[in-house]
Amino acid sequence: MIVSSARPRPIVPFLLVALPAAFLLVFFVIPTAFLLSASFIESDGVIMTGVWTTQNYADLLSRPLYQQAILRTFGIGIAVGVVVIVLSYPLAYFLVRTTSPWRGFLIALSLSPLLASVIVRTYGWWVILNREGAINSGLLALGIIDQPLALLPSSMAITIGLSHALLPYGVLTIMASLNGLNPNVERAAMSLGAGRVRTFLTVTLPLTWPGIVGGFLLAFAIAISAYATPAILGGPGTQVMATLIRSFMVQALDWALGSAMGAILLISSIALLLLTSALGGRRA
Amino acid sequence: MAEPALKLDKLVKRFGTHAAVDGIDLAVAPGEFVTLLGPSGCGKTTTLNLIAGFLAPDGGHIQLGGRMVENLPPFQRDLGMVFQDYALFPHMTVADNVAFGLKMRKVAKGEISARVAEALALVKLDGFGARRPNQLSGGQRQRVALARALVIRPTMLLLDEPLSNLDLKLREEMRTEISSLQRRLGIATVFVTHDQGEALTMSDRIAVMRDGMIEQIGAPAEIYERPATRFVAGFIGSINMVPAKVDAIEGGAVRLATPAGPARARIDGVSAGAGVTLTVRPERLKLGPGAPADAVAWQARVERVVYTGARLEVQLALADGSSAMAEATNDGSTRFTAGQTTTLWFRPEDAWVIRESA
Amino acid sequence: MNKGPWTLLKVTVAVIYLFILGPILITAAVAFNGTNRSFFPPRGFSLRWWGEAFAPQWVQPLMFSLELAALTAVIATAIGVPLAFAFQRYDFPGKTIVRTITLGPLILPTLVTGIALLQFLTVIGLGRWLGYWALLIGHVIICLPFSVRTIAISLQAMPGSVEQAAANLGAGPLSVLRYVTFPIIMPGIFAGMAFAFIHSFTDINMSLFIAKPGQRPVTVAIMSFLDFGFAPTLAALSILSLLIPLVLIAVLGRFVGIGNFLYQEQGRG
Repeated sequence: MIVSSARPRPIVPFLLVALPAAFLLVFFVIPTAFLLSASFIESDGVIMTGVWTTQNYADLLSRPLYQQAILRTFGIGIAVGVVVIVLSYPLAYFLVRTTSPWRGFLIALSLSPLLASVIVRTYGWWVILNREGAINSGLLALGIIDQPLALLPSSMAITIGLSHALLPYGVLTIMASLNGLNPNVERAAMSLGAGRVRTFLTVTLPLTWPGIVGGFLLAFAIAISAYATPAILGGPGTQVMATLIRSFMVQALDWALGSAMGAILLISSIALLLLTSALGGRRA
Repeated sequence: MAEPALKLDKLVKRFGTHAAVDGIDLAVAPGEFVTLLGPSGCGKTTTLNLIAGFLAPDGGHIQLGGRMVENLPPFQRDLGMVFQDYALFPHMTVADNVAFGLKMRKVAKGEISARVAEALALVKLDGFGARRPNQLSGGQRQRVALARALVIRPTMLLLDEPLSNLDLKLREEMRTEISSLQRRLGIATVFVTHDQGEALTMSDRIAVMRDGMIEQIGAPAEIYERPATRFVAGFIGSINMVPAKVDAIEGGAVRLATPAGPARARIDGVSAGAGVTLTVRPERLKLGPGAPADAVAWQARVERVVYTGARLEVQLALADGSSAMAEATNDGSTRFTAGQTTTLWFRPEDAWVIRESA
Repeated sequence: MNKGPWTLLKVTVAVIYLFILGPILITAAVAFNGTNRSFFPPRGFSLRWWGEAFAPQWVQPLMFSLELAALTAVIATAIGVPLAFAFQRYDFPGKTIVRTITLGPLILPTLVTGIALLQFLTVIGLGRWLGYWALLIGHVIICLPFSVRTIAISLQAMPGSVEQAAANLGAGPLSVLRYVTFPIIMPGIFAGMAFAFIHSFTDINMSLFIAKPGQRPVTVAIMSFLDFGFAPTLAALSILSLLIPLVLIAVLGRFVGIGNFLYQEQGRG
């Protein structure tokens, strides 16, 4: 669009973009590229020796501890994606279709966890799930159990915590997809004799499939790189890639392994992104 | 003769390889209301944007009051423009919207408020100055846009389909209002529309555009009654078009051979044997007896009668099977039934011959 | 019409809201415990944990987070406005690449962006930047997509004819920006700034790697204290750090009307 002058001036976008682009190049693109190359370099602690190797990846993929952590990470990611979709779909459907005067408030409420740090959101789950927590004391008081259950640390606790934290993303993605659906299509199905449930299953659900795929992959992508929730609700026996990266980088000071693990996460995320657009999923 | 308010000289604008405006010449006299009329994609809006300076031409010249302006940015062209979506500034009051152009021209504060009040009175919006655009109805927004364009006393007014977002009744009201305001102020105006009704009722002259070129320019009656091309004839109103061949020339008139029967009509400068198109507007076609001696009369069969209230549209099949349409006033005197055979007639002066073969 | 499925849906939705809000409400309740353990339901009642949350040990990181988030939001907006204009208004060579790089941190794991920055600064000998400057750079990188996208949305939502009208009325390019474009997109700019602020304030994945002791955001401070147990102080502190963005959104929503943007925004946090 021509805004205020009839003549295109290529210098203007250059001036607007040059500095920010240079900033991002130096502090984001180059470091990320550097990380990828560092994952192929042998290192002695934090000092890189400059010798090219694939040993870092071999180590990560062969040692049972690391293998399990990678598998656990992806397992949790898939579980979180499923839980997020199963919970956010009915919520999004309700929020899009309701005529309640509270609709705006309810939408804001369902997205409000985005305002809180993951730590705040996870802390509550720790209070609920720990040995002296709400669930155990409730069950003990009711006499259902006589010994506290060991709900923490566990992969299940991590899955619950992450699903809770990522629910708003599922709600947003599916709401966008439901909003893009012409309600007359549903009315047409009903006028042709399909009941509400049948209409939902044969019309609404297939038409919002891209939103479901998009929401699943978004939740999956964030879940596999989450640190705080696995660190709080997990333990030494439930390491995931993010907690391992933290110990490689800060405690063990093995930056080569840290870079390689980071590279695996990075490439998984990019692969997911490409998969999402290939499947026609809706991403903003 | 006075300098034209606007003069376009071989104006060209290309988007890629497509010429949206393909060599337009146009002169608008001071105080004249000229309409650019055509289907979407004909280049009328592009022409307006070239005049306003939102687009740069790829060739040709634009003169405003004798001044070459094609290299001037829009803010130095001194034109008033009303946009299709009104383009009111949503963050300003009505008064601030109207005052904007005056502020940009650094007019003194006291004079601004006087002129804003005057402009709002002109469009019958006295007392609306403190409102926001989103508190106004469509018609009121339209008036604010008009006041904002007129208050700067521009050299000319550009109207980009300003009525298309209004509902039917309001649209007809605004037609008259804009017309009378324009005449009262005597401001040269270019009006863009795809609505032939607006064009016919409001304009001093209409330029019918097609594929980036002006197909015909003239007064509304001329465009309607003496269309230069089949496109112009078909675009404005409904019309019966019959392919014809010039048989013989008899003074100011010609004898024509058509598939529906022989005909006579007025036309100059054609030679015998030329392929032409005979056109008659439906309201000039008569049915039944009563044809004068010099009329063209053909046999026709009534196919269908469409009732539109004040008028009846009679759809007919001619001798060669092609169809035609006649329009009759619904005065209760005539009855037509489908299948009935009747005489269709018109006077030679009611027909118009286009020098294009079908 | 058969209302059965709709009623069932309403009940399901109520349970989901309980799931969403439960942990946050429980955290708030725990902060009133009379004992020094995080029991729920709380045993006894006490306000002392709230008092402890205001001890210098916690106020210092809280203030640090606020300052970092405010500065990050201002810088991200200052860089975001020209970027959004360039993306929305111009075609230039390399546009797709620059846009991908700008929005990249939204898609790539923040954790990886964090360790990449840590490693890079160390290797090129700017390790002394770790701590404040590195935090600021890292936060600007991960918050920039939020401001760019929100500003771009508001630019896109503004009909081009409004600017044309201003130019037509005699406003030069700078006057158009000053009197028309900026006032109209101002809510979007504020919204982008708020999102950047919140994203920075709630971040942990970036700060985890480049914060230094003494210069730690509150999230990192809570995280490291968790190793010593889950004292009710942390619950009080968590709630306090939740209230800050909440108040910000409420105030902005009241005065600048950014509510619409909250709904349009679909970034990842």
